[in-house]
Amino acid sequence: MEQILLVRYGEIHLKGLNRPFFERKLIEGINNALRGFGATVRREQGRIYVHGVSEDRIEDACDALTRVFGVHSISPAVAVEKDWDAIVDAAARLTEQAAGGQAKTFKVYARRSDKRFPMNSEAISRELGHALLQRFANLKVDVHAPEIKVCVEIREQAFIYADEIMGAGGMPTGTAGRAALLISGGIDSPVAGYLMAKRGLVLSAVHFYSYPYTSARARDKVVTLTRLVSRYAGPIRLHLVPFTEIQLAIYEKCPPKETTVLMRRLMMRIAEQIAQKDGALALITGEALGQVASQTLESLCVTDDAVNMPVFRPLIGFDKEEIVSIAKRIGTFETSILPYEDCCTVFVPQHPVTKPEVEKLRESEAMVDFTPMVEAALVRTELLLVDGV
Amino acid sequence: MIYLDNSATTRTLTAAAEAARQYMDENFFNPAAAYAPAVESERAVNGARARLADAMHAGADEIIFTSGGTESNNMAIRGSLGAMRGRGRIIMSAVEHPSVFEVMRNLSAEYNVVEAGVDKEGRVDLGGLSQLITPNTRLVSIMQVNNETGAVNDIPAIYKLVKRMAPGALLHVDGVQGFLKVPFDARNCDFYTISGHKFHGPKGVGALFVRKGTRFLGGQIGGGQEHNLRSGTTNTPGIMGMDAALQYYLANQQAIWQNMRACKVRLAGNLLSLPDVFLNGPAPESGAPHILNLSFLGVRGEVLLHALEEKRIYVSTGSACSAHKKGKNRILNAMGVTGERQEGAIRFSFSAFNTPAEMDEAASAIAELLGMLRRFKRR
Repeated sequence: MEQILLVRYGEIHLKGLNRPFFERKLIEGINNALRGFGATVRREQGRIYVHGVSEDRIEDACDALTRVFGVHSISPAVAVEKDWDAIVDAAARLTEQAAGGQAKTFKVYARRSDKRFPMNSEAISRELGHALLQRFANLKVDVHAPEIKVCVEIREQAFIYADEIMGAGGMPTGTAGRAALLISGGIDSPVAGYLMAKRGLVLSAVHFYSYPYTSARARDKVVTLTRLVSRYAGPIRLHLVPFTEIQLAIYEKCPPKETTVLMRRLMMRIAEQIAQKDGALALITGEALGQVASQTLESLCVTDDAVNMPVFRPLIGFDKEEIVSIAKRIGTFETSILPYEDCCTVFVPQHPVTKPEVEKLRESEAMVDFTPMVEAALVRTELLLVDGV
Repeated sequence: MIYLDNSATTRTLTAAAEAARQYMDENFFNPAAAYAPAVESERAVNGARARLADAMHAGADEIIFTSGGTESNNMAIRGSLGAMRGRGRIIMSAVEHPSVFEVMRNLSAEYNVVEAGVDKEGRVDLGGLSQLITPNTRLVSIMQVNNETGAVNDIPAIYKLVKRMAPGALLHVDGVQGFLKVPFDARNCDFYTISGHKFHGPKGVGALFVRKGTRFLGGQIGGGQEHNLRSGTTNTPGIMGMDAALQYYLANQQAIWQNMRACKVRLAGNLLSLPDVFLNGPAPESGAPHILNLSFLGVRGEVLLHALEEKRIYVSTGSACSAHKKGKNRILNAMGVTGERQEGAIRFSFSAFNTPAEMDEAASAIAELLGMLRRFKRR
């Protein structure tokens, strides 16, 4: 008898000839998440088996697996020989432990993949149900709404389990290339990064700071947020870009109404250059249509005009509440709302333009030669490798 | 580095660190144990207790060692009220530290909690206070020195006032910023809080003076240490470290006071000559010698703080607990310092180790930064 974790994967089944690539990346992701657990990960017939995790750490390992993209669900299971008595014993133990021993009703779900096993699925369900009824006098069968499920799968071994824990879904990390996330420290950008990583992207992240208008704590906060996202997305290259000089130049020399959208354009320009160096093919932002002045359709067009790369905005159609609920689920919300961010208010114009025009903004931007400042910022950019696993 | 945030904490004196080390290493024994080396530790702690008591004209049996200012304040308020029969009024100044303010507010379901206003320098207004003290007043808690502005409260007068108007009431004085910095006599209060790390002792140690004969429940319960009023294994390294700092301070008190005052006056003089700089609190020549609060119009205190930090000059925008709430500095609000004056407020606090030359350097750094930062005002 051995405690294992049974991992199911979803969308990859739709893949054709490149399916082994996706499976390999999924196993890489699982191995990365289970570093330090002493686990052996094995794939067989559309399932992944995790062996070798000590019993007291099964729950932690299971939790780690819920953050691996490409995993559909996980079941902590007991593996026994395909021997009827062993199966009944394991099922009885499971029944005893499930629901704190308080359960009154159960149902057996059997699945026989190894057709050499003498009983078919129906017979296994029936006979195992019978055996459990005999052992537990208080227990009844309820095939519609059982309090506990006793699942049996007959494969190369017999696996017995009760729970199916939902995984993160999505595509395995590293199957979709790399993109660069503009991360501010607010609620939205970590969620945007999470959602794109979920589709298999590896992330770089770019953060702009304006010392002395922002503090060392604001910077720590971004590092923490990046680490929280990397629990799902895997290691992230975080670039910290000093932005004060550019902000001050915009403030002094450009039309006040346009400072925010000009700032966005320059951030995009710098992020694009960093992305190119990192081998990223797209940018990711946390913008949602209409949320603030810089996120109107016109503003987004003006921002996009500053770069040639595609800009992914996974939150574009989301309400704030929807974004918040994802942020809470992935654990970034509490950090995002730490009050270190509004240090930049000095630069926010009272009445920002909400319908900027591309041509006009290009002209405003041309009022200052930003290129040397952009280059200086890139030279002074720091790189941190953030790995939250 | 120019460290001007000594009201937040001070550098631990080398002698204090050495004393603490000694009581972690060779004299590590638990003073409650029965063998001779433990008795030695107990004697040492009682020696420290007697010296601390002397420094405030108290008796050794009136000193309870604690983990610091917050615990002493909590214990003074809860431990005194818990020992009284009946409810009534409790009074604090509007500018108390959160470890008094929040404890009092927490008691507002059972007691009538009243705040005494302060003048524009941050000093408790005695006329106003006298109107608040009712015969059923149980406890009054007033800080000795305002931690934002250095204003010094007239504790002897407050004590007389309290005892005259409500003989049954007790007076607690939070002396965290005041102890050793301005003269003090424990005969003018019933409870007095001190904290070791504000005068070059280690963090995590402090004391509470409880006047002999006061009905008092004490704090945490357990093994019966500190006359059974504050249980917990005696923090010998902390207590002996604090004792070393106390002895250093007492031996050099006049010189330290003069040095801090000289720094304060010099920095104030330098900075108040700049345009649009205003003093919050008493004139630099008066008030506590170690705290100076100035407002720099046209720049946010937080931004100036971070800009100074780049030059390794460390200041504060207010007591750390309220530093993050913009426009909501309760203490400056109570003093009527609002709007731009509040946003641009910076607290400088000095120690024995600051020098007048540092003041000149800090002032010229600020003058230079103001020129730059004021160009970028919020529009």
